[in-house]
Amino acid sequence: MLAFWQTAVKNRDLILQSLGRHLMICAAALCLGVLVAVPAGIALSRRPRAAARILAVFSVINTIPSIVLLGLAMILFGLGFAPSVAVLFLYSLLPILRGTYAGLTGVDPKYVKAATGMGMNPRQLLQHVRLPLALPALLTGIRLSAIYVISWATLAAFIGGGGLGDVIWMGLQSYNFPLVFCGTIPAIVLALLASALFNRLIRLAQKHVREEVRR
Amino acid sequence: MIRLENVSMAYGEHEVLRSVSLHIPEGKLAVLIGPSGCGKTTTLQLINRLIVPTEGRIFVGDTDIAEADPVQLRRGIGYVIQEIGLFPHMTIRQNIEIVPKLLGWDEERRNARTTELLRLVGIESHYLERYPGKLSGGQQQRIGLLRALAADPPIILMDEPFGALDPITRESLQDEIMLLQKKLRKTIVFVTHDMDEALKIADLIILMKDGEVVQAATPHRLLSHPANAFVESFIGKHRGSRRLETIRDVMSERVVCAGGDVSIVEAVDLMRREQVPSLFITDESGRFLGQVQIGDLGDAVPEQDCAVSKLMRTEVPAVQVTDSARDVFRMMLDARIDELPVLDAERRILGIVTRRSMVQSLASAVWEEGR
Repeated sequence: MLAFWQTAVKNRDLILQSLGRHLMICAAALCLGVLVAVPAGIALSRRPRAAARILAVFSVINTIPSIVLLGLAMILFGLGFAPSVAVLFLYSLLPILRGTYAGLTGVDPKYVKAATGMGMNPRQLLQHVRLPLALPALLTGIRLSAIYVISWATLAAFIGGGGLGDVIWMGLQSYNFPLVFCGTIPAIVLALLASALFNRLIRLAQKHVREEVRR
Repeated sequence: MIRLENVSMAYGEHEVLRSVSLHIPEGKLAVLIGPSGCGKTTTLQLINRLIVPTEGRIFVGDTDIAEADPVQLRRGIGYVIQEIGLFPHMTIRQNIEIVPKLLGWDEERRNARTTELLRLVGIESHYLERYPGKLSGGQQQRIGLLRALAADPPIILMDEPFGALDPITRESLQDEIMLLQKKLRKTIVFVTHDMDEALKIADLIILMKDGEVVQAATPHRLLSHPANAFVESFIGKHRGSRRLETIRDVMSERVVCAGGDVSIVEAVDLMRREQVPSLFITDESGRFLGQVQIGDLGDAVPEQDCAVSKLMRTEVPAVQVTDSARDVFRMMLDARIDELPVLDAERRILGIVTRRSMVQSLASAVWEEGR
């Protein structure tokens, strides 16, 4: 424990720098994932039959070991930040896609009927009714993606992406196990914090939707 | 106001509506009723184009709705559904103001309208900032009703709006809709499977079965002249216990009339044959002119060829068919009147109320005995 603290203090700058880098990679991958998967989920919710097939394809992507995908990304994009983000982005897609799709198709048809009957066009229906009601499920998807991406980002070090993986890798190579923990523990804490943040958002989004259910 | 012309609707082989033609006049509350699967909800949803018919034409006002933009059409038609469907993530105010907002009303106008609506049904304004989940089912549907009325549309469609509510709440909402209808004169199309509800609130009842209209008539007409055995069985229990509201409910249609030009001999003969003590005299188009009684004729025996109109009493009290039965009963008892002709708005004779018909209708109402 003491060794761990000493190592941590000694490598303070490296750890903080790697943490910053780690956050950047994750945030970039997750943002891209949301930007692509949410609209894709909306599109899928209109075609339930195609949706089943497309979701199956993405499930396959997520079963490919990350190290393989990282290798592929390295061949395609070379080393560094971009390929790391690209791979993590691919991994982030499925949970968000699933969450968006489940949220939208799970909206009680009575709301859609009422909204359509009142004269909302499809865009207004989505914006004012379907998305707000799907929000808890959608956020649950993003939360899952965030946790995945944060833990898998440690592997980005292998293709020169940097981040907390660098610290772990350095520790492993030099048999400096306290240093390994200096990379691992921040990654775990980061994942837990992200999870807590999203749980809070989900509760907020659920507040009134839940009340209706309880009635 | 709303007109359906030979509208048919089929899902593949399955026919839901078969050549339905309907006319719902402006300002009336029309009830679509029938056993489940009769096509009543389908008919309702045709009007705001939630469903497009396979054949036939539908007019709202003068527009053929097939040529209208469905989104614009729906904004001009209020819509209330059984599941209520208030949006749980919006406050009561936001829920009520949805259509005004879609129509681009500014905030001031929306606020004024919402305040006006709340006053109309006596809901306090502190409810506005709450969420629907906090309200009871009855309160929610009251808000659902306001939401439909928000942009002041001339037409409101209601799909079994009170079906999921408990009987007491349902009664009070029925009273409310009748009160609102009296104040606002909307054209309302109301779907229900509850005949009590239909009889209570409807101006016009449209009874459907297997995708066809069996009978469209006023509640009174439906009860008194059911078109066929199905209508009779559907209204079943309501026939016996019909309420005595207007004179129409208690009058006898057996009334003996004669033209003013018949002679005294003929008149006496007619009275003997029909076994009545008096005759009502009418003009050519059936309008009421006066009455002759057998006692008056007896004095005129020498002038047997004289026309009966000369002996006719013209100062005869008469009642309108829409008068309250209760008031007329009181009048007959207080003024010791034995019989009264019942007239329509054009003074044509429709029937007669006698002490005998009065007692008979009372007996049938109390003991549900045949009439």
